[in-house]
Amino acid sequence: MTALELVCPAGTPAALKAAVSSGADAVYLGFRDATNARNFPGLNFSRDELQQGIDHAHDNGCKIFLAINTFPTAGDSTAWHQAVDDGASLGVDAVILADIGMLDYASRKHPDLRRHLSVQASASNPEAIRFYQDAFDVKRVVLPRVLSVAEIAALNKEIDVETEVFVFGGLCVMAEGRCALSSYATGQSPNTNGVCSPACAVRYDEDENGRMVSKLGDFTINAFEADEAAGYPTLCKGRFVANGEASYLFEDPVSLNAASILPDLAKAGVTGLKIEGRQRGKAYIAKVVTSFRRAVDSMDDGAVVETDLTEITEGQRKTAGAYQKTWR
Amino acid sequence: MFPTHGKTPPLSPVLLAGLLARPLSPRLLQPALDAIFAILNRSHPGLFERLSCLNETVFLIDPIDLPLVFILDADPEHPRLTAAREDADRAVATIRGPLLTLIDLLEGRIDGDAMFFSRTLSIEGDTEAVVALRNAVDDAGIDVKRDLLDFLGPFAMPARHAFGLGERLYSRLNDDLEFLKDCALAPQSRIPKAPEA
Repeated sequence: MTALELVCPAGTPAALKAAVSSGADAVYLGFRDATNARNFPGLNFSRDELQQGIDHAHDNGCKIFLAINTFPTAGDSTAWHQAVDDGASLGVDAVILADIGMLDYASRKHPDLRRHLSVQASASNPEAIRFYQDAFDVKRVVLPRVLSVAEIAALNKEIDVETEVFVFGGLCVMAEGRCALSSYATGQSPNTNGVCSPACAVRYDEDENGRMVSKLGDFTINAFEADEAAGYPTLCKGRFVANGEASYLFEDPVSLNAASILPDLAKAGVTGLKIEGRQRGKAYIAKVVTSFRRAVDSMDDGAVVETDLTEITEGQRKTAGAYQKTWR
Repeated sequence: MFPTHGKTPPLSPVLLAGLLARPLSPRLLQPALDAIFAILNRSHPGLFERLSCLNETVFLIDPIDLPLVFILDADPEHPRLTAAREDADRAVATIRGPLLTLIDLLEGRIDGDAMFFSRTLSIEGDTEAVVALRNAVDDAGIDVKRDLLDFLGPFAMPARHAFGLGERLYSRLNDDLEFLKDCALAPQSRIPKAPEA
């Protein structure tokens, strides 16, 4: 069985310190621009902040993975190339890339810089993963959130690179790197701009019945009753009327929590356990990382110690997502 | 600001203090507010640097358990916090919630998204500005009590005692209010439910 590595998010230096002190084995983060898939206002790291973050993490035995996981603007890859160059010179432990051109650039310019394949590349079968390994010497693949535990186990038997899976946080509609919903509604997408449902296009208003109405661009996407838990204002988690009934047509506002199946993921040959939430505050980071550190460490004793994290999750509900495909 | 926006504030010592202070002008608070805000700015000089991406930086902070609002101008060069009775027309966004939740958020002890999901906090206006502000204060490492005590230097000891006394009084009053709430709701819970048809 592989030793599990806890890979934790950080959107600010304070969040990075919270992740490190809470027991992260690695922290993933991005620069303050469109080169990463959490390009939110006021979030992310300057070059100086990254240098200080690397020093702090390394002093505490923690690795830093730099996410450069958006797809460069056609005809202008300058910012993306600069991000790879700066990550390499500052001393990150790995870069997380999605675009084939970026993988090519990084492998040619910085052959010793460890490369991970982002979930945004959506590589979910042995042929795709072997291609990335053969062509760009990718050492780890972050698997898209579409596979069951049995499928991950079967996949790991056929490939010779590490795999990393999401174990906590927000979910996507299982079309990672290919989703155009945000782009359709706002003109900006997670794939190229690094923002899904950008905050500049989101509005919350209260209607005459006291409901909170969320709008994205020109679309009304949800209306929450006064005592109803809310979710992120993304189209995939919008509540729409079809056949006269309002319901979540694509996906419920619910958060992934795979703590209870950590032993199964370990048996399936997974290396990295990824926590989602670079956009969240340091209190979230500290709580979730502490909880998963305890859960991973308790596996040696035969039983996973689980913490109830419902109150900090989207929609205040949890799911095991595709790991347990109950809809099949 | 209660009760303008229809949100029911929690029964707390803050609410009681707000009700008692209702006849007073928020301007009376301004000298203390200026002093505290100056100390916070001095302790965290880059506090609003993450907001440099914004054109408009005036926020309305609305504690729903107090009869006043705070107008925060988060201009990185000239930040200012003002107490007022009325909403500010020029605010780019409003952040609304119980005072202690807003302070916890300021100090990064709670996660803003989680408070939003649970509907404890609500926001209106420019969501991008709110997200930027949240990220700025979350990174700043503000601890109001620690920052004030650090500033006081050799005079920190009596202030620490005063803080301790205030916290004990608050805790006691809070427990008493919980007890009162239980007493007030007890007759309601004793009403027998009508049999289902």
